[in-house]
Amino acid sequence: MQSIVSLAIRVLEVFFALGLAGSVIVLVLSGIEDLETLIGSEESHPN
Amino acid sequence: MLTFISYWRAAAIVLNDLGSSAFYAAGIAEQAIGKSAPWFILGVMLFSFTVRAVYVESCSMFVRGGVYRVVKEALGGTLAKLSVSALMFDYILTGPISGVSAGQYIAGLINDVFATADAHGWIPRAVHTIFNGTPHLDVNWTSVFFALAVTIYFWWENTKGISESSEKALRVMQITTVMVIILLAWSAITLFKQGYQSVPLPIPSNLTFSHESLGFLKHTNLATDLAKKFGLLGILIAFGHSVLAMSGEESLAQVNRELAHPKLKNLKRAAIIIAIYSFVFTGLTALLFVMIIPDSVRVPIYKDNLIAGLAMYLWGPQLLRLVFRAFVVVVGFLILSGAVNTAIIGSNGVLNRVSEDGVLADWFRHPHKRFGTSYRIINMVVFLQLFTIVASRGNVYWLGEAYAFGVIWSFTFNSLAMLVLRFKFKGERGWKVPPNITIAGREIPVGLASVFMVLLSTAIVNLFTKSLATVAGISFAAGFFVIFTVSERVNRRKHALAQQEMKEHFQLLHSDTVERHGLGLKPGNVLVTIRDYNTLTHLKWALERTDDKEQDIVVMSARVSQFGAAAYDLATEQIFTDYEQTLFTRAVSVAESFGKHVSLLVVPARDVWSAIVQTAINLESSAVVAGLSSKMSGQDQAFELGKAWEASDEPKRQFVLQVVHPDMNVDTFRIGPHAPSMKTEDVHLVHRLWLNITREPGLDKLHHHDILTEALTRFAKDCSGEEREEILRQLRNVSADSGSPARTGSDAVEPRVIAPSTPVPENTTATGVPTAPEANPNSNS
Repeated sequence: MQSIVSLAIRVLEVFFALGLAGSVIVLVLSGIEDLETLIGSEESHPN
Repeated sequence: MLTFISYWRAAAIVLNDLGSSAFYAAGIAEQAIGKSAPWFILGVMLFSFTVRAVYVESCSMFVRGGVYRVVKEALGGTLAKLSVSALMFDYILTGPISGVSAGQYIAGLINDVFATADAHGWIPRAVHTIFNGTPHLDVNWTSVFFALAVTIYFWWENTKGISESSEKALRVMQITTVMVIILLAWSAITLFKQGYQSVPLPIPSNLTFSHESLGFLKHTNLATDLAKKFGLLGILIAFGHSVLAMSGEESLAQVNRELAHPKLKNLKRAAIIIAIYSFVFTGLTALLFVMIIPDSVRVPIYKDNLIAGLAMYLWGPQLLRLVFRAFVVVVGFLILSGAVNTAIIGSNGVLNRVSEDGVLADWFRHPHKRFGTSYRIINMVVFLQLFTIVASRGNVYWLGEAYAFGVIWSFTFNSLAMLVLRFKFKGERGWKVPPNITIAGREIPVGLASVFMVLLSTAIVNLFTKSLATVAGISFAAGFFVIFTVSERVNRRKHALAQQEMKEHFQLLHSDTVERHGLGLKPGNVLVTIRDYNTLTHLKWALERTDDKEQDIVVMSARVSQFGAAAYDLATEQIFTDYEQTLFTRAVSVAESFGKHVSLLVVPARDVWSAIVQTAINLESSAVVAGLSSKMSGQDQAFELGKAWEASDEPKRQFVLQVVHPDMNVDTFRIGPHAPSMKTEDVHLVHRLWLNITREPGLDKLHHHDILTEALTRFAKDCSGEEREEILRQLRNVSADSGSPARTGSDAVEPRVIAPSTPVPENTTATGVPTAPEANPNSNS
């Protein structure tokens, strides 16, 4: 039982670690796009 | 039929929900995982950029890319019901946690004011005796009382059908921004003057889990030195205890459909503003909380009103700090109360949406007799919120833990659904979460899968570490799931029968826009608006006076949905619900009794006035006939319609509004610019002036209208000059003498009833908000 729990925890940890690594890439890439969106603000004035 | 909003306003609406978590998230997280909590809050706020990206992708596919719609498309009805149950748990908890948190800030301030006053000897001895010392309130029960009062207030407002104002949300966020700027600037000065306490790095050895924060794990041997045993698991648990800092993302999907063109670009802009703002506000506040407030008081005293605590430990005179704290409490009250309202509106919207899909019995959507709102849903939501508030006994930690359950599971379902849709729906999307790698012609959504993996692992860990939330969340979600499933089965049986009846009675055509040609109507038709099948007097009045061979009669019902509802992406059978079927069956029956034909129209709309105006313009109607509202006078109805007419886009045309009273008396108003009716003495005055001026050399060919043009030109000039105040004073006197509200005009003279067939005068020249009433001998207005 203990080993199953340990395995499940390891799987979760791998899931989380891989997900975090990928999320950092998402953050960087979408951040670059966000910057482009902000810089290219030619319309829709705030009111 | 929507009033579109800018991305600033959209961001303000979402931040009213999302920003409110800054007032409690860090306090809850530190109680659970210790002093390194701010790093996790900052991490969650950074991660929220990626969750937002998932919502942007879902909104680029569906106008309303919320959890229910997306999960239903991807994973089917059962999982959609499950995900919406989790979302409902999130919404139901939003109200109580916001209300109780606001109460904590208010009670905390009152107690500190008492303590300060006592220290200065300002508290009378008699009061001292009553309280056995310094007077003070029981913070938790005061919070409960406050939360109950705020929830009941918004229950009544929503039952009446308040309009959600993006203007209000924007104002609240502007005030909040002022507070955030002062807080950050003052904190920087404090750090410079007084130094700071270091915040332990977010590594496993720095995590100190409380007994409560281990949930079910506290009963296992994992509890002993958990962080060292499973290093990354400790980080994952800590992350799970901080996720509620990013609650409120679902609101982004709900405001999406209201965004102005270009929708996707504005959605992304709104998302960027939200992300940066919440990172700065929630993230930095959490960090400053630990850096500035001493350990001895931070959690014991200020865990539930951390920004107020921060205000009290800033550098400077005590009085100034107390004033700033009061400002913090006012801002907290505004934003947290707004979140209570958003929770009721959001839950009402989601339940209306599932009800429209047949997942919830139509009984829930039965409109309020007087206000026309879905009061049964509102009652149910508010009852659950009131129960939660009382059950929590004002414990913010408990509420926060439970709240996180709904937040994380609705995000997880949404990201899973989006991941499945990448494989299931190959068509074009407005935007995709990056990066996407193509291997052997198959696109692998690396970014989307990564976000899903983080959310899923966090959600699973939370199941074990938040025992109370797990029990409460699963019980609640299961309860809702059972209600949805049973309701759906009952509805299916009922709808199969209704569908058959409907096919026999009505031919349904679905159209994205209301067009006269598409409906086969002649210009100059009569538009009759109906809502309640018990009050169709005005329809009878219109039928009596209209020759349907000359003029088409259109009977229209506006399906009003508030912020959060989703009547815009519905199939035909969803739009034509049981209620509309009954309503139109009655209308057709009335028309048949007159031997006349009517065309029926259901228009989903956010704002009923805009819907009527836009439909009348699109159908080129000459008259709109409405019943007298139970909430406003005929003149008020005309004024609202006039405002909607002014706000509508060109090309637009004038029409007549006729408000029929229950006793068949009629108020008639012209909507749109029109020639004003003139008093006889004014006509004589113009004539006398004309006679006088035409005697002058070279002016014998002058017309009466030339006199009026010159007079109006001079008047316009005077109105923008020094004499403006004097003119306005005179006009106020005239308006007061005339005895009728100035806003609807009082230039009506010719007493006559305009029957629906009366043509609207073309080429008129008057300007301004155009709801001048014409006096009517039969009118009781």
